[in-house]
Amino acid sequence: MKRRRWILAGVSGLALLVPFVTPPGADAQCALGVPVIRVGVQGSSSGAHADYGRQIQMGATMAVEEINAAGGVLGCKLEMKFVDEELKPASAVKNARYLVTEWGAHFLVGVDSSGSAMAIGPVLPELKRIHFFTHAATHRLTEELVAQKGIQEIVRVSVPVYQESLAAWVFKDRPEIKRFATIGADYEYGYSTWNLFKETMKKFRPDAEFVAAAWAPFWTMDFSPHIAAVMAQKPDAIIATPWAGEAVMLLRQALLQGVFDKIQVWFQGMGGSVDVLEGITREVQQDKFKGKLWATARYIHNWPDTPENKAFNERFDKRWGRLPNYSAETTYSAIYIAKAAVEKAKSLETPKVLEALKGMQIQTPAGLRVFREEDHQFVYNVPAGRVVWDPKYPIAVLGDLKVVPAKDYYRYPPFTPVAATK
Amino acid sequence: MDTILFQGLIGLSLAMYLWLLSAGLTIIFGVLGVLNFAHGSLFMVGAYLAYTFYGMLELPFWLATLLSLLGVALLGLVMEWGFLRRIYDLDHAYQLLLTFGFILILDDAVKLIWGGVFKIPPIPPFLEGAWPVAGRLFPVYNVFLIAVGLAVAVGLWLLFERTWWGRTVRATASDREMANAIGVNVPRVFSGVFMVGAALAALGGALGTPVRVVAPGIGAAMIIQAFIITVIGGLGNLKGAFVSSLLVGVLSAYGTLFFPVFELFFIFVIMAVVLLVRPQGLFAR
Repeated sequence: MKRRRWILAGVSGLALLVPFVTPPGADAQCALGVPVIRVGVQGSSSGAHADYGRQIQMGATMAVEEINAAGGVLGCKLEMKFVDEELKPASAVKNARYLVTEWGAHFLVGVDSSGSAMAIGPVLPELKRIHFFTHAATHRLTEELVAQKGIQEIVRVSVPVYQESLAAWVFKDRPEIKRFATIGADYEYGYSTWNLFKETMKKFRPDAEFVAAAWAPFWTMDFSPHIAAVMAQKPDAIIATPWAGEAVMLLRQALLQGVFDKIQVWFQGMGGSVDVLEGITREVQQDKFKGKLWATARYIHNWPDTPENKAFNERFDKRWGRLPNYSAETTYSAIYIAKAAVEKAKSLETPKVLEALKGMQIQTPAGLRVFREEDHQFVYNVPAGRVVWDPKYPIAVLGDLKVVPAKDYYRYPPFTPVAATK
Repeated sequence: MDTILFQGLIGLSLAMYLWLLSAGLTIIFGVLGVLNFAHGSLFMVGAYLAYTFYGMLELPFWLATLLSLLGVALLGLVMEWGFLRRIYDLDHAYQLLLTFGFILILDDAVKLIWGGVFKIPPIPPFLEGAWPVAGRLFPVYNVFLIAVGLAVAVGLWLLFERTWWGRTVRATASDREMANAIGVNVPRVFSGVFMVGAALAALGGALGTPVRVVAPGIGAAMIIQAFIITVIGGLGNLKGAFVSSLLVGVLSAYGTLFFPVFELFFIFVIMAVVLLVRPQGLFAR
């Protein structure tokens, strides 16, 4: 009897000691010596561009949930924190510092605005953290900050602005389209897209004329003057770069001016994003764009036609009740890339993880992504397509897909400067 | 020539929209002496209410607009009666802080109620289509904006110049103590004026919904333009706000056509030039 009491007392005492022996929150199986791996995520989650940040958050959450359910990374669970970058570089840098120095992020992911990306980039060596950029598209991030200045902590998982020059491949075999105009976002993305498009187009079509350009700053609500100004030059095609809610407004206001009766093609950069397609579905169903609206995005949910992509879409729809847009997929894939690199490096130390990224090729919902060592850009294919209505989907989709291999529209080191001016 | 005429008309519709935004702001400053930073937020709430009534509950567009005006007028009453009237006698800095606080509260409130993602209401059928003007198609929606802007200008002129209430408001604006001494219920006049100003902001928001998106933050984007217009016209001067709206709207449209490289700065260039020539604004006494 006495002996049993001693055993009970001993077991109880040991049980009481357990919380002091095991660090709070630590997983006994984690091989990396940390309680959890922290992933700090940023995106724009308020205003006309809020859906992109929301999609970044959804993509990251889903990746973290899946990885944790499957046992984590080398036995370590992931923990995620999302913050709003507000499309403001100062906020983005402040957030990055907070996420690393106060919250303890091991990796940074996301960022919608190119301005924010360019501001965060130079801070990363000081923070000693890798930032997987999953939307910001400025070519300067990888060309200037990585290839030229050597900031190793920058890694981009999404397609840079090169992809917008896909428009040149859409138009190159259509000699009847000769006069091009742009309604551009009035910042670097708009300027470099137009300049890259002109540069690429001139190679295919020396006869192309670039007849008008109108520039609309962030938060433009009324595009009527811009539309009227470029239409005054009677263009055959318009290349447009306002995105998210602004793209929806622009397209609806262009319809009111009867633009689609006058032009032959409208190419909307990032118009293949789910939020834009949702916003214009009503008009697409009514064939108001007359089959003249083309678009691309950095991932298109209905391409590639692979079991992996279909399964990703189904899981995303089941989890969130929506289709994934490109920032959701790029962020989701970025977290899986981080997982693969940590598993290869068997370490969370930045230099070792960077070393592990070298030579990496990884299958993702968007297809095969290949790490390019010179500029830390993951290279992969994304097509452009015509905006169409397909009853198989709840929203308008891209059809008549034109798949140009990434090697044809990506720029290669050594990089020559692209004018990032009007 | 056709291009110039067409761009001018587009500029006119832009001007009338800016006028709707700035009229309420300038009335509130002219009578109450309050520089209402939250005017853009009232515009945003008006847009959200119109979206709710029209886009979600599918009420007729006009009824949705009217309900949105009434809703924001009530919100204006709460702001004036509950908060602003307590600080009329304090330094202007307190008004700025208080109204700026309302921007933060209303921005977060709409995020909580409607979410952070933009909303897209449908275009009412009567606002679709376009009329041929100068060899191009001029949208019916833009004609509608011009008509509403002019109607509001005439309506406000009649209200302030030809009605007893308008005379009372003007008397109160000129001399608050004298108006009080002759039996005018000054607090009630102030509440009424703030409600009219708030309803005008909501009208801008509601009429924008058919072709614009509704999103948190649109108020802050619009308030900058409204301030520029009120400053150019002369703070508190209704006629000034109308003329400066015309100036900014039409010149911005021509700026986009002829000087696209400077589009971003055009509105500021206009303001700088006017303020250099007449620092008190075009119509300030």
